[in-house]
Amino acid sequence: MNSKRRATLIVWVRRVVQAACLSLFVVLLHAVHVNDSAPPSPWLKFFFDLDPLIPIGTWLSVHSLPSFPWLALITLIATVLLGRVFCGWVCPLGVVHNATSWLRKYVRKTPHPRDNWTRWQRGKYYLLAGLLVMAVFGSHWIGVFDPMSLLFRATAAAVYPGAQYVVEDAATDVYQSDPHVGSLHLKAVTEPVYRFMRDTVFGRKGQTFDGGALILVLFAGIVLLNLYKNRFWCRYVCPLGGLLGVCSPRPVMRLVNTPGCTGCGLCAMKCPAAANPDKPGDWRSTECFGCWNCVATCNKGVIDFKFKSPLPAPSSARLDLSKRALLSAGAGGLAGLVAFRLSPQSQARSYNPVLVRPPGARDERAFLQRCLQCGVCMKACPTNGLQPTLFEAGLEGIWTPVLVSRIGYCEYNCNLCGQVCPTQAIQPLPLGEKQKIKLGLATFDTGRCLPYAYNRECMVCEEHCPTPKKAIYFIIQDLKTRDGETITLKQPYVDPDLCIGCGICEYVCVFKDQAAIRVTSANETRHSGNRPILPGLPGLGPAPAESSPEPAGDPYAQTQSNPYGSR
Amino acid sequence: MVRHTRREFLKRTAMAGGALAAGPLMSTVPFGIASAQESAAPPVAPGRDGSAPLLQMCIARWKGASAASPDEMKTLATKLTEQAVATLGGMNRFVKRGDVVWVKPNMAWDRAPEFAANTNPDVVATLVRLCLDAGAKAVKVGDKTCNEDKKSYPSSGIEAAVKAAGGEIVYIDDGRFKEMAINGQRLDKWLVYPDIVESDLVINVPIAKHHSISKVTVCMKNYMGVAGGQRGQWHQDLATCLCDITRFMKPRITVVDAIRILTGNGPTGGNIADVKRLDTIAAGTDVVGLEAFGTELLGCRPEESKMVTAAQKAELGQMDYRKSALREIEVA
Repeated sequence: MNSKRRATLIVWVRRVVQAACLSLFVVLLHAVHVNDSAPPSPWLKFFFDLDPLIPIGTWLSVHSLPSFPWLALITLIATVLLGRVFCGWVCPLGVVHNATSWLRKYVRKTPHPRDNWTRWQRGKYYLLAGLLVMAVFGSHWIGVFDPMSLLFRATAAAVYPGAQYVVEDAATDVYQSDPHVGSLHLKAVTEPVYRFMRDTVFGRKGQTFDGGALILVLFAGIVLLNLYKNRFWCRYVCPLGGLLGVCSPRPVMRLVNTPGCTGCGLCAMKCPAAANPDKPGDWRSTECFGCWNCVATCNKGVIDFKFKSPLPAPSSARLDLSKRALLSAGAGGLAGLVAFRLSPQSQARSYNPVLVRPPGARDERAFLQRCLQCGVCMKACPTNGLQPTLFEAGLEGIWTPVLVSRIGYCEYNCNLCGQVCPTQAIQPLPLGEKQKIKLGLATFDTGRCLPYAYNRECMVCEEHCPTPKKAIYFIIQDLKTRDGETITLKQPYVDPDLCIGCGICEYVCVFKDQAAIRVTSANETRHSGNRPILPGLPGLGPAPAESSPEPAGDPYAQTQSNPYGSR
Repeated sequence: MVRHTRREFLKRTAMAGGALAAGPLMSTVPFGIASAQESAAPPVAPGRDGSAPLLQMCIARWKGASAASPDEMKTLATKLTEQAVATLGGMNRFVKRGDVVWVKPNMAWDRAPEFAANTNPDVVATLVRLCLDAGAKAVKVGDKTCNEDKKSYPSSGIEAAVKAAGGEIVYIDDGRFKEMAINGQRLDKWLVYPDIVESDLVINVPIAKHHSISKVTVCMKNYMGVAGGQRGQWHQDLATCLCDITRFMKPRITVVDAIRILTGNGPTGGNIADVKRLDTIAAGTDVVGLEAFGTELLGCRPEESKMVTAAQKAELGQMDYRKSALREIEVA
């Protein structure tokens, strides 16, 4: 078989593998919540486990990992031997970029010119350097740029909910307005389709996310850049691409040009990585995705991938990073970290009341050193209560999860978020332990609460409080009405020893604009500095039988009792 | 051969007339009561086993060996339910061949059956089976839950039990409620789930529980599960709103699960110490009588319950259930 035919076969195999990887990603995304009572499969984290940037970044910032990153090591070894085949064959975000780039020929009239390497492709290495320096000094913005995290966040917080909204809203409109011609109802057609989509394709109630629009716009922007340059993100920005490029200066599988090349440049027109396949002495192994497009295109059969010893350099091309630029990137990373830490909140001088974190979340510094901003916990949360922050946790904590009780509360018998978190920023806790963790404290707004402000009976909050001994109790009061009569009402109170801040009270409160009982981060277990309540004090109610456990919550604590590592 | 003499004719007429006159005297239903339930009940037919027609309430108590294991509990629950319904006249009294039945349990909470926050799953499954045996075309089971339905349905054990019995589990879709005319004293219109009210029969299967606001939650509060929207508002005048929804639902049969009852920290429960085993099922057509019975089980006097007294005043039934057509049975 000549090289062109072999290469064409390989290109088709590659496309199948790419399609399979993207499909697997979608399937795993879908599987995050499907059966809430069974423990989630470890396969859910598959793509995060494959990605070596995540364990490297996490290890640099916290010096520990939840488990040995075997799959990431396999990726690295494969990259050292074969070059950036991960980018070309596996990366699901890469597949999205590939697919969009392929559309380019339908969008732009001019055919793609010869696409050779430019210095701009160094940008991803500088970004990588900046992020790694930031990680060394204890900050974890890797997740903002990491492709797995980015793709999951965009699909989970924007694309998937958007698609679900379109389908479900249309179907509901048809159902409620019920257009019909005689006895022929449109809903007879739409309802079965809707039910199939809802039960099988989407598998859960539609989610909504604060800031989903921004995430969608950014993702769309990144994807649309492919119409300007093929695989724009992969070439110029992706820090994982940079990491894998750093690992592939001397691969075993190399592109070799034989004499006979006429310099037609067809291969370079098809190269998505701008790796210079048409320049024999200048082929860029650190850019090449191993996609075999070039070999499949060559009509003369003068280029091919061959296995060669890794010792000699594959071409005269070097990574060629400017020391000055690298230092600037590193300094930029450090400066960014300092900028993050300028705010009082980042140094635990103040606590944001709305920053109620998921159960099992570590103290804020330790949490931000691990959180990937990937959105898996948000997708898993059965009530849709976990939302991405914008600035509530500072710029450092952008898109990290916060519990917004107005939208969804923390289900008492659920500990999914900790079980799906890829870096254990939210620790996986057994249910009994999770149920003792205080996320915050519920506080009555007696200027609104019906029995206090409006002389009406209510207590929906107390009705729903899930703790075995309810954390909301009532005192029966005799109150005067405007007519001078006396009525008897139950007025609710929160027992601060029992309240775990789950937020169901706020969620069910009849005030849907601003609830009359609200959970703030006060008294959260993870921060000893954010505790207004002296535990176990006999007051309005009897002291609880057991008090909550005491992990050190100080943001500066070096000896936090956590089984998954120090700091 | 009968001789057609005048004497013979007079004898026969006298016997027939005597039988006609004796019939009402022998029946256990006093003529005085003309509750809404009688008009709502289907045309009278004696039960298959010959039990008296128009029985309004049956209380079935377990007197067999004490049950502990899941299998023993299942047998207990199944037998109690079967016998209670059979004493009422069998499910055929309520289900016609081809009917679509909705069984409405309390499955609102993400709690396992032992915590007595939701209806006993074996009771629900037995009712499903009885309806199917009586010729129902389909039996659907669902509830607008308070916790996430994807957690509450499986945790309650009802989802698995119903599917095993051949019933259909329905997850309530929030976008499918429709505004309906309740025409109540307090509720004018409210969002109700069409699937439920369009069924031919709704069987209300609550569990008797402590509830801080209403002291006790039994039959009428269970009807909240058919309503959507801001049901939290109802607590501002709970007794009246519950009477409104109960009247709207036109109860025909209610089965009260008192196998396990929740005596404190209701309606969510969560403390096994609050659960008390009574091994009792009460079934009947008079929702107020059953409400009163449930109230008594939880240690409260029906006269002191706002729900019961309001329902009595609204003429939804008879709170003094001992005066109605009641039979108490022991099951083993």
